[in-house]
Amino acid sequence: MRSLFEWVDALPSSIALRESLNAYPTMLTIHVVSMCLFAGLIAYWDMRLIGFTLKKVPVSNIPTRLFPWALTGYGINLITGALLLYSQPMRYYGNFYFWAKMALMLVAGINMFWFHYATYKSVQAWDQGREIPLNARLAGVVSLVLWAAVVVTGRMMAYSGLMPGWWNNLNIGA
Amino acid sequence: MLQSFFEWMQGLPFSAWMLEETWASPIIQCAHLVALVGFAGAVLVVDMRLLGRGLIKTPLNQLARELDRWMIWSFVALFVTGAPQVLSTALKQYYSPFFWWKMQIIVIGLLFNFTIRRRVAFAKEGTLGHWPKVVGFLSIGIWTSVSVYARLIGLLS
Repeated sequence: MRSLFEWVDALPSSIALRESLNAYPTMLTIHVVSMCLFAGLIAYWDMRLIGFTLKKVPVSNIPTRLFPWALTGYGINLITGALLLYSQPMRYYGNFYFWAKMALMLVAGINMFWFHYATYKSVQAWDQGREIPLNARLAGVVSLVLWAAVVVTGRMMAYSGLMPGWWNNLNIGA
Repeated sequence: MLQSFFEWMQGLPFSAWMLEETWASPIIQCAHLVALVGFAGAVLVVDMRLLGRGLIKTPLNQLARELDRWMIWSFVALFVTGAPQVLSTALKQYYSPFFWWKMQIIVIGLLFNFTIRRRVAFAKEGTLGHWPKVVGFLSIGIWTSVSVYARLIGLLS
């Protein structure tokens, strides 16, 4: 893994991106704005499942009407995130919060697929005005917590001096 | 006068504590970002509806009334977590043009929201012609500019 990161780090296009004055601020700003689109809409989907808000909106309306926008935001977020990683791979390789964010995104994705292919199949039975099953509410809570943690670990990536002691002892970034 | 006010803020014991306490700034910045997500979602769901997109099967005024309190409380959370950051880096903010642009657009955004946007979103649908679309488009533009300038304060100041 380390050699892959080192190989990318030495690529001329990675160096050019890293040395560009405008590339990093531009990519990071688009990354934050697209995060608002994706995470903002997903947060209200999760809160609908939990029963916090939008209770009069049929549950099945949200995936059909809001998910295309949320996925557009996610796509832009993924592209800008990949470019940020591509431009400074060795900065992120030894960063605990980077790996934590990747792991959290993976778990959030698994939760999303599990919900979609298991619990959501019975949505017609609890679409509107009926109590949302416990499995669906739990999936909403898990998703909300995981995506909030993704946002937090993403912000914490800037604090390379605040990594856990046990992680520093592994000397991964050395 | 403004400069001395910012110097006073920078010199407060709380500002010094924020800078000295290792975890204070990261925790507050993370909370600010989480509040931003809550605010963005509440604004976007209504703005997309104003544009004729998103949750079109739900009446606009019902959606706007329900999400209004989420928008307001998220904004309160943004203010509560944003103020300590301004206090602790007051002079950096003072000399950043992005900070001033951000503040000006926030004021415009609040005035726009509590006057025009709210009136249009709470009105009976189909009575205002193309105005809902104009308002939705402007609202998205205003709050996107705020997040762009906010990000640029940290990166280019």
